[in-house]
Amino acid sequence: MSWILSAIVFLPLAGALAAAMLPKESGGAAKWLAAVVAGVDLVLVAVLVAVFDVGKGMQFVTDVVWVPQAHIRYHLAVDGISITMLALSALLSFVAVLASWKVESKPSTYFAMLLLLEVGMNGVFVALDFVLFYVFWELVLVPMYFLISMWGGPRREYASLKFFLYTLFGSVFMLVGIVALFLIKGTFDITQLASAAPALLPHQQWWLFLAFFLGFAVKVPVWPLHTWLPDAHVEAPTAGSVLLAGVLLKMGTYGFIRIALPILPDAVTKGAGTLPPWQPILVVLATISIVYGAAVAFAQTDLKKLVAYSSVSHMGFVMLGIASLTPEGINGAVAVMFSHGLVTGLLFLMVGMVYERGHTRKIEDLSGLMPQVPRIGAVFALASFASLGLPGMSGFVGEFLSLLGGWQAATAKGALFSPVWVVVSAVGVLLAAAYMLWMVQRVVLGNPSRVVGAMDDMTGRELATVLPLVALTFVVGIYWSSLLRFVDPAVRALLAPFGGA
Amino acid sequence: MIPAALRVLAPEAVLLLAACVALFGEHIPGIRRSIAGFGAAAATIAALLVMLPHTTSSFFGSMLLVDPTASFARVAIGALTAVFLLWLAARGMGRERSREAAALVLFAALGGMLMTSANDLVTLYLALELATMPAYVLIGYARTDERGLEGTLKYYLLSLLTSLIMLFGLALLFTLSGSTAYGSLELTHAGTAGLLAAVFVAVGFLAKMSAAPFHYWAPDAYAGAPAASVAFVSSVPKVAGLVAMARLLLALSGRVPGLSLALGTAAVLSMLLGNLAAYPQTDLRRLMAYSGVAHVGYLLVALTAGSAGMSAAVYYAVAYAVPSMAIMLISAEEGVTLESLESLASRAPWKAWVSVLFFLSLIGIPPLAGFFGKLYLFGVALDAGLVPLVVFAVAMSVVSLGYYFRVVRAMFARPSAETVPAAAPSAVAASAIVVLAVATVAVGIAAGPLLAPLGFSFP
Repeated sequence: MSWILSAIVFLPLAGALAAAMLPKESGGAAKWLAAVVAGVDLVLVAVLVAVFDVGKGMQFVTDVVWVPQAHIRYHLAVDGISITMLALSALLSFVAVLASWKVESKPSTYFAMLLLLEVGMNGVFVALDFVLFYVFWELVLVPMYFLISMWGGPRREYASLKFFLYTLFGSVFMLVGIVALFLIKGTFDITQLASAAPALLPHQQWWLFLAFFLGFAVKVPVWPLHTWLPDAHVEAPTAGSVLLAGVLLKMGTYGFIRIALPILPDAVTKGAGTLPPWQPILVVLATISIVYGAAVAFAQTDLKKLVAYSSVSHMGFVMLGIASLTPEGINGAVAVMFSHGLVTGLLFLMVGMVYERGHTRKIEDLSGLMPQVPRIGAVFALASFASLGLPGMSGFVGEFLSLLGGWQAATAKGALFSPVWVVVSAVGVLLAAAYMLWMVQRVVLGNPSRVVGAMDDMTGRELATVLPLVALTFVVGIYWSSLLRFVDPAVRALLAPFGGA
Repeated sequence: MIPAALRVLAPEAVLLLAACVALFGEHIPGIRRSIAGFGAAAATIAALLVMLPHTTSSFFGSMLLVDPTASFARVAIGALTAVFLLWLAARGMGRERSREAAALVLFAALGGMLMTSANDLVTLYLALELATMPAYVLIGYARTDERGLEGTLKYYLLSLLTSLIMLFGLALLFTLSGSTAYGSLELTHAGTAGLLAAVFVAVGFLAKMSAAPFHYWAPDAYAGAPAASVAFVSSVPKVAGLVAMARLLLALSGRVPGLSLALGTAAVLSMLLGNLAAYPQTDLRRLMAYSGVAHVGYLLVALTAGSAGMSAAVYYAVAYAVPSMAIMLISAEEGVTLESLESLASRAPWKAWVSVLFFLSLIGIPPLAGFFGKLYLFGVALDAGLVPLVVFAVAMSVVSLGYYFRVVRAMFARPSAETVPAAAPSAVAASAIVVLAVATVAVGIAAGPLLAPLGFSFP
């Protein structure tokens, strides 16, 4: 069944080409085409998840030569971490198509862009050749640029170019790192790079980590490289925000887990000469992201901006889990990635529904969703609770494990960073509860405002869009191992370079 | 039986014949109207003939070196010329007659092909002039445009000056080594005279390639020329010039201290000046002129890495030439100023979208040709230890995103009140642009089969 990964990655490409070719007067055909393609892709991923053997490491391998002279290969495979992210990508892509049902302007181009975006997202999570990985990594930029610049808000041109410039700036340094790594190791294969001779010298590892850090950290985004994110989110159309927050940010943290840690372990734990190890740097940046994101979220008057800054905060937990280098921490990181994809996707969908009806996202103009539009209000409240990490919902699992991993690493013998950072990060959970509950109190509860008073409740299609996400939030939150049984074996395999922690 | 030395020149012979037919075609009944199409066919045949195998690579007492690199460049020159002439057959040169343009283009392509195999100072200079002379006329093709003629005159005088500087350098080289063959250039004991010779030759080449700090003629010359002329002049001669420059300078670089430092400096200056000066431009011809300066900078990065950079540079030159020609062809149809390109997306959506593709390739976004070009180029340069140069180059390629996307933004702007009519659709012209679009994707994705004849291997 090794064809299945190629099918999952390239089916949306075929769909995108077909959608782009649709004549102008085809009207609603594009959305149905996109829904069918994204739906079939989701089914394929579901089949993949069903037949995936959690104990077997990399599976469904396709590995053929692509450019022989440059030793570039077409190498796809999934392990427990990839498949989790792939499932998220396929699910949210399908949801994004459903959420875009009312796009009127140039629908065939719009849905072609959404499907093209799915190609890049799916590809990043299954590519095991570094050049192929980079191809998918950059492929994501183009459709997202057009989604923002053609269907975005009033400042779309500024925001879309800023998004493109920032992320390209990070990723070209990653490209230099990829080439430099090849010149030392003689291979682009991500799985072999960790083990292939010759061993990297400490300073090589350090500088390569810097190159990869720039590529990945901009995407995550880690403070202080996050400033593109609020602009891009606010201006993007709803589906764009869902995929941006739900999947694109995870590409950055996935890169850290899949590439930076296993290939450059010494840079993280040992440093090089006078250059400090990266672990404490990552922890400090993660903590700042958590607290800064939460603090800034407090001050927002725009719902979308609030959710955007909360993403910076949540992705900080992912970075903390990754930097802990413990199995608990990285399990937690992947769990936050999955959960944040569901929950933030949900929040952006809800903000989108509110905006579609009221044409405002200003918190002061909105109140009393619950009495006026109970379905919207209820799902909004549920998503907020999941976001703040309420036990029993998916947000709690990952944040708990990330903090646990961070604490273990900080209190272990010879720890490189102080437990104070973990404690400060934990305060971030409290802050999240505070700004989320305050938002719920202002927006969901109370008497309906003038804008809200004119709203209709969710339609059947909208309910169908959000229900799978809500259900999964509870499933993962209550039965943790539904997710972690995939992730854990892969995490332990990846941590082998750190002395099989 | 035709001797091998003549057989290997079959493509050049075809081009020469076609050029003559185009030049005198006025008097050949039945061919007057379709000269450009005829030229396109001839160029295609020439490109195919290049691919015929031949056993040796050195011809005419090693005056010509037809190695795989040369053949690769010759195929590219033939194919690009064919595409250009195909487009010309459909669109013509505005109000001017296009017959002469076809002849000039064929002569320039002939000169370009010979340039890539030049292995002797005399061959080099003759081929170079053969390739450059038609460019003067092409640049000044709009005879009634006064501003254009000013640019042409500037270009002509400066180009002549640099030709003479180079010729002086070549003469010095001959005096010092007593031979015009590349293989026997000898500068070890030449001292200052040898250095001067190398400086003159290098300056001549850098100016011809519009590398900073000798680039200032390009924006003015391009801005005065018809966009169609720019499409040809900014692409095909660049490929030929690069191969010729790489051959001679690499032959010299081992013998002249400091040459690669000078190339590195020119690379940095070109990338910096080209990319920054492109920002404020509102005329696409000037913008592409500066972008061309920047791309020559990337090519010079590869040459700074020494002979290992040769094949990467040739590949990159082709990866640059294809989208660059395509953008100028689109501009020739739809307008040269950013203003006139506004809302192209609603006038002719497919042209706007393929333009995006071409710009993305120029920036170096995978999986397009430009990305693989940059990948190989940076690989070679990193292998030679040029880390700061590569870091600078990648940073500059991000900078280039800004001005390329200014054009894209203009194209996708909401249509304004007054709508500019789209150029009349032409299936032939469209197919020329589509061929270039397919090439931009295919050169990237199918890099393997293309790199094999180039003898490229990643370090």
